Amino acid sequence: MKERLRQLQQDALSALKQADDLNVLQNVRVKILGKKGSLTEVMKGMRDLSAEERPIIGNLVNTLKDLFENYFIDRQLELQQRDVAARLANEKIDVTLPGRKTVSGNLHPVTLVTNEVVEIFSRLGFAVAEGPEIEQDFYNFEALNIPKDHPARDMQDTFYIKDDQVLRTHTSPVQIRTMLEHKPPVRIIAPGTVYRRDSDITHSPMFHQVEGFLVDDKVTFGDLKGVLTHFLNEYFGQGHKVRFRPSFFPFTEPSAEVDIECVICGGKGCRVCGKTGWLEILGCGMIDPEVFRSVNYDVEKYSGFAFGMGLERIAMLKYGVNDLRLFFDNDLRFLKQF
Amino acid sequence: MIVTYNWLKEFVNFQLTAEELCDRLTMAGLEVDALVNIGGELDSVIVAQLDSVEAHPDADRLTVCQVNTGSDIVQVVCGATNHRTGDLIALAQPGTTLPGDFKIKKSKIRGQVSLGMLCSEKELALAEDSPGIMILPPDLPLGQPVFDALGLKDYQIELDLTPNRPDCLSVVGVAREVAALCGEKLKIPLPQLSEVESAVAEKASVTIENTDGCPRYAARMIRDVKIGPSPDWLVHRLEAVGMRSINNVVDVTNYVMLELGHPLHAFDFRYLHGGKIVVKSAQQEEKFTTLDEQIHSLTSEDLMICDGQQPVAMAGVMGGLDSEVKDDTETILLEAAYFKPTMIRRTSKRHGLHTESSHRFERGADIDMIPVALDRAAALIAEVSGGEILSGMIDVYPRHLEPVNIEINIQKTKALLDIPVDREMIQRLFESIGLQVEAGAGSDSLRVKVPSFRPDLEREVDLIEEVARLYGYDRIPVTMPVGTVDAKLPPLRQNLQKTLQLEMVAVGFSEAINYSFVATDSIEKIGISADDRRSVQVEILNPLSEDQSVMRTSLVPSLLETVSRNLNFRSSDLRLFELRPLFLTPKEGGACIEQLSLTAVMSGQREPEGWAQTTVPVDFYDLKGVVEEILATSGILNVSFVSDSSQPYLHPGKSCCLTSGQQQLGFLGEVHPDVLTNFNIDQPVYLFELNVEAIIAVSGEHGQFKPLSRFPDVIRDSALLLDETVTAAQVMEIVNRGKVKFFDSAIIFDLYTGKGVPDGKKSLAIRVRYLDLEKTLTEAEVTKSHDKLIRSLCHQLNAEIR
Repeated sequence: MKERLRQLQQDALSALKQADDLNVLQNVRVKILGKKGSLTEVMKGMRDLSAEERPIIGNLVNTLKDLFENYFIDRQLELQQRDVAARLANEKIDVTLPGRKTVSGNLHPVTLVTNEVVEIFSRLGFAVAEGPEIEQDFYNFEALNIPKDHPARDMQDTFYIKDDQVLRTHTSPVQIRTMLEHKPPVRIIAPGTVYRRDSDITHSPMFHQVEGFLVDDKVTFGDLKGVLTHFLNEYFGQGHKVRFRPSFFPFTEPSAEVDIECVICGGKGCRVCGKTGWLEILGCGMIDPEVFRSVNYDVEKYSGFAFGMGLERIAMLKYGVNDLRLFFDNDLRFLKQF
Repeated sequence: MIVTYNWLKEFVNFQLTAEELCDRLTMAGLEVDALVNIGGELDSVIVAQLDSVEAHPDADRLTVCQVNTGSDIVQVVCGATNHRTGDLIALAQPGTTLPGDFKIKKSKIRGQVSLGMLCSEKELALAEDSPGIMILPPDLPLGQPVFDALGLKDYQIELDLTPNRPDCLSVVGVAREVAALCGEKLKIPLPQLSEVESAVAEKASVTIENTDGCPRYAARMIRDVKIGPSPDWLVHRLEAVGMRSINNVVDVTNYVMLELGHPLHAFDFRYLHGGKIVVKSAQQEEKFTTLDEQIHSLTSEDLMICDGQQPVAMAGVMGGLDSEVKDDTETILLEAAYFKPTMIRRTSKRHGLHTESSHRFERGADIDMIPVALDRAAALIAEVSGGEILSGMIDVYPRHLEPVNIEINIQKTKALLDIPVDREMIQRLFESIGLQVEAGAGSDSLRVKVPSFRPDLEREVDLIEEVARLYGYDRIPVTMPVGTVDAKLPPLRQNLQKTLQLEMVAVGFSEAINYSFVATDSIEKIGISADDRRSVQVEILNPLSEDQSVMRTSLVPSLLETVSRNLNFRSSDLRLFELRPLFLTPKEGGACIEQLSLTAVMSGQREPEGWAQTTVPVDFYDLKGVVEEILATSGILNVSFVSDSSQPYLHPGKSCCLTSGQQQLGFLGEVHPDVLTNFNIDQPVYLFELNVEAIIAVSGEHGQFKPLSRFPDVIRDSALLLDETVTAAQVMEIVNRGKVKFFDSAIIFDLYTGKGVPDGKKSLAIRVRYLDLEKTLTEAEVTKSHDKLIRSLCHQLNAEIR
């Protein structure tokens, strides 16, 4: 019996070893351990053995069974690994082929810049306000201390709808509308579309501005400098010099023009800054008492500042766009770049 | 306003370089637009002397000159004929670039070496024409740059002045600022003039009828003038500030205007009927010819200078053709007056005449400067034209403009500007710009008498600005505001706009921004008829062009233009949107309403071009999917798409109206082929437009959480044979609202017509998912539910199971 088992072990291990694919291996396993397998046959014949022999042979058979099983599992793993390795070796692709494109859209650069500017001021507690694009003369001019027949009206060549109705020339009328509705303190940022009767390579008859203003008690010119310097540092990055120089706007006094050290040449002078090293970025000032009077704010109690800037200009500087007209051509080759 | 460095130096002694000066002016609010070094490029054009002039051995018309540069003798070949040995000439040395980008190089001319060029005045841009080369005055130092030697070297400084500073529309005014900035004194020499015995008052008279428009009018008379060219210094001065020389008298009036800021006008006295000047309003529709030979039809609001019979000048704007100074003028009446700014501005605008004179008067001239400017000009005219000044000045000044006095509170100034200034400092700053200061009414205030040259100073805040300006904006500290912050969330409207934009981008659309104004007929191009409210367009009274003359009532034409343009640029896969207002006038009339619209167009392939991508063109359902996504993101959960053919620019069979409850949200469809033709578009375009105001009204809903089941779902598919006219919406309405037991959700997964489906029928396949939260469903339970659902469909829609 022992001899038979030895022979069986030899045959089985040899067969398992020779099995060269998983199906053959599985068949070998069935031939040995299956219902009619050679080892199973031995086990069936155990009841014919003597009581002394039975445990010895039984032990031997169990040992063999474990041996075969282990041998089978090892061989199976070996063959699986070999197969996977072979499959992987066959499945090499060209990873440099471009990926399957998803469709993607882009916001208009003016919208992008608007959102960025608004975000910075929002963090300082400025709320967004809007106003109509067809505006009454009162809000666009009169209440902003720009009376009829004032040379300041020349600064903003105007599209008229009626005698007393214009396409707003700036976002400043939002100041008036907001202040007429809300008592101080107010902190408002108002982006919007504006129109001026001017069209050439550096002027578009329609463009975008953002207006901002803050009114409270004890607001100083220093606060104006602080808020705008903070904005410019946030937007263009720290380290660009900022300068405030006197200017004139009918609705602010004192008024200032704010320049930032040229972000292109770092102040050395280049084509973009007209060799001056400075870029004009925004206009601002302390809100004129006449404006406060027109919205019934107490000029003795409150002070405030206002500022405005052109968003296309900011976008041109940020992205290096050199032609204003591109913003309104809506050429996808342009729009897709942002 | 253009001034020059040297001209300023005549009035103030400052030590700044031109660059430093410009920087200081800019930081003081007089923004320098440009600094030009006059003759600066021509330093290599030097004074040299002709040691010998000999005929060229091989050319009849050329001379060979030995030229002494002071340090060397060089040979130059010259084609002129007016030069002689011993003359001083202007030698352009090799390396010079003359005006007109004319480069001078060492050369050989017919075998003779030529080391430069002898220049004419024209070549140096000193004259418009010149007969030969420029012969310089003797005794100039050899080797010195010609512009230096002639005293022509200067810096042109162009100022971009704000409209509140008429005082700086003169060299003296700018010099006053420079003096204040440098702590120097301003020197204005008083004109010296000698008069003959004959008195102007006996020859001429001035009457002001409109004293509101003209509070002061003064005149002087100069006789025996000889009209001719101006002396060089005058010509060069005017040219240095970009003004052309006309004749000696006109040049003087311009010169004095530039110097002192006060416009002057010279009349040929022969043409003043009765020797009279009458200042009065024009007759309505009276005709008048200005000296630029334009004929103007006047209105009664135009202020005119008249003689005994007729108008002779448009006050403060431009003189008349008839009475202007001519070549044979002998006696001139010189006018210096003050005109009301708003009146000049209106006249200037009305007649489209913007002149140096009107520019100054409409901003506010200096009424006290009148006699000074008049004397200065009279003296100069006498000097350059050989005339004699009649004694006396006519000075009619019926309405004295009272000087303005303003109180400024020191504490208030310090508080607003946040700077440590005191009384003495403020007083010193004010005095530096010519303001008179005395103690104010309050203990903490100053009283400032505003001089007539600063009409912009009217209120305390104007003075506070002067303090800030003179103190230096750059010295004001940088602080952050304290105080209450309103930290409320932005309103729904703003959030929704942003959501819509970002969502459109997320589904592949790029944002376009077109002009809000379009051509009047753009609305007709999309087939909108006269009875549609969108045909009522807000018109611009003064459009830049016909193409931009009305405010748009639909974004569709602009976007179709954009599509057309992009197709021309060879971009053919287009997904574009605009989120902009429409300018709609209500049917019943009244004010225009600005209604925000989200309009999108889609055209071309569904997928981007690529090796692994399909080339399927987009269709109606691609864009419908976008709309569904957009509306769901906006929080509109209940939207109906109703077949609709009301929009003339949409394909009647492939368009629908979007509603939510009673609210109409917009339209979706394929663009009508006729409209595409109007825009030269040759591929299908799909568009939707949504009324954002309507979306705001119904948005903001959000669904409630639905519990997840731990048990498996069961799916049943059924194909329904339906009449072609039955819509998917009808089927889904029954499926979704049928409330069969265990129903979870359903989708349409196939639509089929063709072989096996009878004509007039279609096959629509639905996949229904059944689910229970408490248990695994049995086949029997699901079959019972599904059979009920199918029966219901068959019954209500006359459907059959395929």
